[in-house]
Amino acid sequence: MCKSERSGTPEDMETSADTFNVTFLPYDVTVGVKKGTTVLEAAHKAKIYINSICGGDGICGKCKVILDSGNVDSEPTINLKREEIQENYILACGSKVLDNLRVLIPTESRLEGSKILSDQDAKRFASFLSDDKGSTRFDLSPLIRRDYLELDVPSMDDNVADHERLYFAICNKTGVDADTMQTGYRVLKGLPAALRESNWKVTTTMGVRGKTNELIEVQKGDENISNLGVAIDVGTTTIVTHLIDLNTLQPIASEATYNSQMKYGEDYIQRIIYSVENDALDTMQDSVVNDINGLINLLVKNSGKNLHDITAVVCSGNTAMTHFLLALDPANIRKEPYIPSANNIPVIRAAEIGIAINKRGLLYVMPSVAAFVGSDITAGILALGLYEKEELSLFIDIGTNGEVVLGNSDWMMCCSASAGPAFEGSDVRHGMRAAKGAIEKITITKNNGSFDIEYKTIDNVKARGICGSGLLDCVANLVRTGIIDRSGKFQKSIDSQRLKETDEGLEFVIVKQEDADLNTDIVITQADISNLIRSKAAIYAAVSTLLKSMDMSINDIEKVYIAGGFGNYLDVRSAITIGMLPDMDHSKISFVGNTAAAGAKLALLSKDAFYAAGEVASNMTYFDLMGNNKFMDEFMSSNFLPHTNVAEFPSVLNEINSGD
Amino acid sequence: MALPVVAEKWSNSVKELTIGATQAEGGTREKTVTVGGAKCVPFIECDGETGNRPAIAMDVLDYVPNDWPDILRKPIEDVIDEPAKWAKKCVDEFGADLICLKLDSIHPDKGDKSPEEAADTVKSVLEAVNVPLIIWGCELNDKDNQVMPKVSEAAKGEKCLMGYAAQDNYKVITAVCLADGHSIITQAPLDINIGKQVNILVSELGFPLDRIVMFQSTGALGYGIEYTYSIQERERLAALSGDNLMAFPVISNVGFEAWRAKEAKAKDEDVAQWGAQEDRGPMWETITATTLIQSGVDIVRMYHPKAVAAVKKYIDELTS
Repeated sequence: MCKSERSGTPEDMETSADTFNVTFLPYDVTVGVKKGTTVLEAAHKAKIYINSICGGDGICGKCKVILDSGNVDSEPTINLKREEIQENYILACGSKVLDNLRVLIPTESRLEGSKILSDQDAKRFASFLSDDKGSTRFDLSPLIRRDYLELDVPSMDDNVADHERLYFAICNKTGVDADTMQTGYRVLKGLPAALRESNWKVTTTMGVRGKTNELIEVQKGDENISNLGVAIDVGTTTIVTHLIDLNTLQPIASEATYNSQMKYGEDYIQRIIYSVENDALDTMQDSVVNDINGLINLLVKNSGKNLHDITAVVCSGNTAMTHFLLALDPANIRKEPYIPSANNIPVIRAAEIGIAINKRGLLYVMPSVAAFVGSDITAGILALGLYEKEELSLFIDIGTNGEVVLGNSDWMMCCSASAGPAFEGSDVRHGMRAAKGAIEKITITKNNGSFDIEYKTIDNVKARGICGSGLLDCVANLVRTGIIDRSGKFQKSIDSQRLKETDEGLEFVIVKQEDADLNTDIVITQADISNLIRSKAAIYAAVSTLLKSMDMSINDIEKVYIAGGFGNYLDVRSAITIGMLPDMDHSKISFVGNTAAAGAKLALLSKDAFYAAGEVASNMTYFDLMGNNKFMDEFMSSNFLPHTNVAEFPSVLNEINSGD
Repeated sequence: MALPVVAEKWSNSVKELTIGATQAEGGTREKTVTVGGAKCVPFIECDGETGNRPAIAMDVLDYVPNDWPDILRKPIEDVIDEPAKWAKKCVDEFGADLICLKLDSIHPDKGDKSPEEAADTVKSVLEAVNVPLIIWGCELNDKDNQVMPKVSEAAKGEKCLMGYAAQDNYKVITAVCLADGHSIITQAPLDINIGKQVNILVSELGFPLDRIVMFQSTGALGYGIEYTYSIQERERLAALSGDNLMAFPVISNVGFEAWRAKEAKAKDEDVAQWGAQEDRGPMWETITATTLIQSGVDIVRMYHPKAVAAVKKYIDELTS
């Protein structure tokens, strides 16, 4: 970056011959950059988020901003429509700063505030907090425990050394075998003073490290000292944290935010490329660690707790995310033969990677299975307890990568298919994440030749876009009402004012401009539908290839769990109508929300659960789809609504044939 | 030791379809042609009934094909501008089982003829010959959608085979075939999934499954025939294994594709080492046809009388 030679003036605000100020509206944040810097880079520097899927390659066209004043050198692009160019829209990644600029970031390119999202997540995970089915499955003994001890005062008759005296007391109180205990030099050195100053009444903090128990801290005895832990789902898009009281085993609060690494690319492959090409592994780590620290601070502040009392952090996330978190080289994840640096990351001190909790507190990372099946999946299996059930279950985690796990208490197979970000709201004209103003539910009904559309937005405000569950409903309703045919093509013959022909093809109006919180109609385009069909096809093909590889059919499955960031709700019927899920009895299918966070929480509350996660990860067999021809065949025949082999979807046939 | 019989047992069969209607059936044909019905892979008699013999449809154009090589024009030179006479010659002299009337002249670049003119042509051909008719549009969606309703109406009762319904344009032709009692051709671009998808789309409009013929774009010998072969083979195996939406007779566009190959159309003076075009061209067409018949094609559209004769003989030998 452009490090200033001059001292005295802050680098971000100066102006000289080849340095210009870029002001971002509506935030009114100004940053100084060198001539030729792109507007997107300037936004990164100003720590302002602008939508960007391709990470600045000029392909996705999502980083649209409006030039309010000043001059830029813009590369020609097909991603802006004529009207947009007339309204001074530019692509932030393809426009170089030539002047002092004022740039307005329009609603669709903005990130909605994290508070809103956190409310959503708090709601979504409330069910997991109150209904901890897992709790009965494990002895609830947290990974880190704090114990108040009153030691026998030494005498000529009781001349055991300080250290052994403490071990004995811990052993008596907790039942932990003294042979497994370890003490660091720093703690040992301070021990004699600590014991005597506290008059032999101390509180010890002890944490699980592999098969041993580390004596982390000995402090003055306090019967009421609190012991807190944080469970974190480090998602590609969203980071979710839960603060838990490890003494009472009760949840205290939760907070979530977007992963600020998004500015380096919306999927993790893009971010790996960015970090390798720009030698930016530390930047990636800083970015995620800052997000986590921000959330932890918020948790502590809002609940009136003490940061020093947080002794443990448990993280789950896909393999790339855990690599970024620990600044492990992620380059080999995306290169054949796809080898991660580590699946089982040893326990380290959280402070070592910059997570600010108790300075001797420990960081636990849930174990991963393979390069493309991360610890979020292990955590999900742990949370749902699939590996303990005799019934054959299918677990589908729908994200940019769709992961599928099939198995029961005897065996488990998993695979991962690139589904693309369509159901997360990317690659779709008016797609968005499950945040305030997102349409999460749509019903279209035919009414005397015209179409009535009912929808519901998150928080019941004016619509800003459509999130995953809404898109799913949308495609299902379009095909049910015959607005699109089974290939996903709009039917001009429906003769509706909502169906419009534009330069880019046909599009269907879901919300008219006057009812939307945008300066345009909210539409679904022919290209959107194709992207959504491809995404659902990848998920179905992964499920079906995995089943066939085990010589099984969907009828053998007794339970299906759907996890993912769809919002609060997912209409199973819609998912079957479009052929994303196999046609089966709805009562077998449950939508389980974010299981990655639930699993991390469970591990935090029970070391047995953490050990079990290790077993789950090492017992799971990874089934590669990338080199699998059958997967490609399955994918091709899934590119239809619901599927080319319609016989696999008898209930959908009935539904559509009985429609009209 | 005697060789064990290793006959396959198939669970399904290809649907049987009769093209053309006699007076008794409400039409004016003296002959009808029945295709399909196979209960086994092509010509493997020990597995089951091989079904009806493959039929040869000769192409007749309503637009003088100036781009055809002389060798191809020669046999029909005298009737080339009169579709009815051309058709009659194909039936009477060359032994065509069916006529495939290709409505090239409705294409905006080839005369842009009106739906009424096209309907008149169809009527004249129906009067001139006593065999069933296949009617093929100009493959331009909008124009076909204008013309086919008229043409279909003009041939009502004759139980023609009309083409074609494609993934992006299937509604009009399906509706008119349904209304006028014709059978339909469903087209796909050498893609087994799309092939089936078009069948689904057409059948969902209420079109009966026993009036469908499938058409995968054809590749000639040396120009992708192996793809066509393999697609046809997969379709047939799917049909026999129980997939009802694939269990239809199949048509192939042999003449047009074979005569696009330079091996067929290059003149003698340009490629003397390849042998006389008089033999070479028809041979190219013959081999394309016989190969595809082996893969299970039920109707072959052909051009040259010599090739037609050779393929007829080949079918005779296979089915006798």
